[in-house]
Amino acid sequence: MQPRLRELQALLARLITARDGVEQGLAFEQDLPDGSLDTLIIGDQQLSAVDRVGIYANAYFYRLLDAIKEDFPVTLATIGDAEFHNLITAYLVEYPPHRPSINDASQNLAAFVRGSELAARWPFLHDLVRVERAIVEVFLGADAKPLGFEELRPIAPDQWPLIRMRSHPSLQVLECEWRIDTMMRAFQTGDTPARPSHERTSILVWRNNCDVDCRALDEAERAAFTVLREGAEFATVCAAITAHTGDVGTPAMINQMLSRWLSDALLVRV
Amino acid sequence: MNRADFPFLGFGVGLRRPHYSHVIETRPAVDWFEVVSENFMVDGGRPLQVLEAVRERYPIVLHGVSMSLGSADPLDRDYLSRLRDLARRFEPAWISDHLCWTGVGGRNLHDLLPLPYTEETVDWVASRIRQVQEILERPILIENVSSYMAFAASTMTEWDFLSAVASESDCGILLDINNIFVSSFNHHFDPQRYIEAIPVQRVVQYHLAGHSDHGAYLLDTHDHPVPPAVWSLYEQAVRRFGRVSALVEWDDNIPDFPVLEAAAGQARASYEANYDSSARNDSAEPVTCSRV
Repeated sequence: MQPRLRELQALLARLITARDGVEQGLAFEQDLPDGSLDTLIIGDQQLSAVDRVGIYANAYFYRLLDAIKEDFPVTLATIGDAEFHNLITAYLVEYPPHRPSINDASQNLAAFVRGSELAARWPFLHDLVRVERAIVEVFLGADAKPLGFEELRPIAPDQWPLIRMRSHPSLQVLECEWRIDTMMRAFQTGDTPARPSHERTSILVWRNNCDVDCRALDEAERAAFTVLREGAEFATVCAAITAHTGDVGTPAMINQMLSRWLSDALLVRV
Repeated sequence: MNRADFPFLGFGVGLRRPHYSHVIETRPAVDWFEVVSENFMVDGGRPLQVLEAVRERYPIVLHGVSMSLGSADPLDRDYLSRLRDLARRFEPAWISDHLCWTGVGGRNLHDLLPLPYTEETVDWVASRIRQVQEILERPILIENVSSYMAFAASTMTEWDFLSAVASESDCGILLDINNIFVSSFNHHFDPQRYIEAIPVQRVVQYHLAGHSDHGAYLLDTHDHPVPPAVWSLYEQAVRRFGRVSALVEWDDNIPDFPVLEAAAGQARASYEANYDSSARNDSAEPVTCSRV
């Protein structure tokens, strides 16, 4: 008797995603009619039923591997092809894709890396994967019209403390244990990314027009983005900065920061 | 579904990321673009900016890979809502997806898997397509997939299955000529017989693409030029189906845009050489899909 559509599809999904291939996956199938895939899938002299399902199994893995490789070039360069292949094989067993977009297939990779044996050899790998995943998310993040110089210029000086602004909705700030920003910078300039220094760092990942970039934030800037995430008056942003810098030199520093934020399209008007 | 309700778009190319800048900056002379719906069902960023720019100049079609029309799972209503929103924003000439399943049990295999060709499956898939058409507020096109396995449970041919699903759901057909060729090799059937069996009034679009020869089987890789055998099958399709929009797909080892432009030009030349306009009332001029 042939299985119903749901059972048939569930069986094929298990075989296609079996870690060690279709043949090994079949060994775990207790309820197969007559114990053979041939009763369900038509094989021939050129390709058996197992071979045919195997074509889908290969396509499944390599399609996802290629897509994830494209999004994690620094991770790939760091651990090499063979380790990356093994990492994604194990990852897909633990975290098979559930969402329609293949972009989402790597959304749990950082969590998986944290618990993997690779973390002992490359202790910064978890942070690196988080930053590369953030780059994907920021690239596709929500749009909003960035606040520009021309919008602020007409505002009277006494009104500036009341200007409400927030960080761009696509922007992310990641708290990292390692200076991943140095690896990303090296990769961008064509150098081999060296092992990063072990140093707590806040890393800003942002999109300016269509280009995604990242850099480290100092404590004052990090404090500013903490209040900007929810939206704040400019006076509150300044207070967050001066809490870290003291008053000496602050106006010039804030002016410089604001100028950079506007150039990099990091703010939106509330 | 009435084929006359779908505009004739002419000869287009699948829009892929390496060509975004070229297409926007040089406005190449292709009639239309097909885009992969899921690549644009995002919150923001470059994909949507690109699509805005392309849509200002060209008709577009939304072509999905994750609707999973044949899955035993419930339809993904969130996915369909987002697709409907995308369609409302960009006003595609039509929306298409594949006659297949892409996942089950909530798991997505990101592949186009074939179905058992039975009356029961026809009823199941057709009822889902009708729901999809209601949600999307328009008839859709379903595409035949390349396949590497066939089911012992099947009681009909693939072409009868495709025709029956299209008829029962009253949707259109996106006939992938390369997929017919690939599947005919893999399952030992006559591809010409397939073309002859598909109802003329359901066919709204063709796909043309290349594949890889693995000896024992052909793989639908979209990484080669359209081979002569597929062009030959296309000529047969043009003679049978008449005025149908055609599109060249290339997804891997993607060449410079002029190569795709030339392939779309070859599709046009082949159409002009094989289309017998005197036998039909339809005009050969592609329409411009202007935005409201």
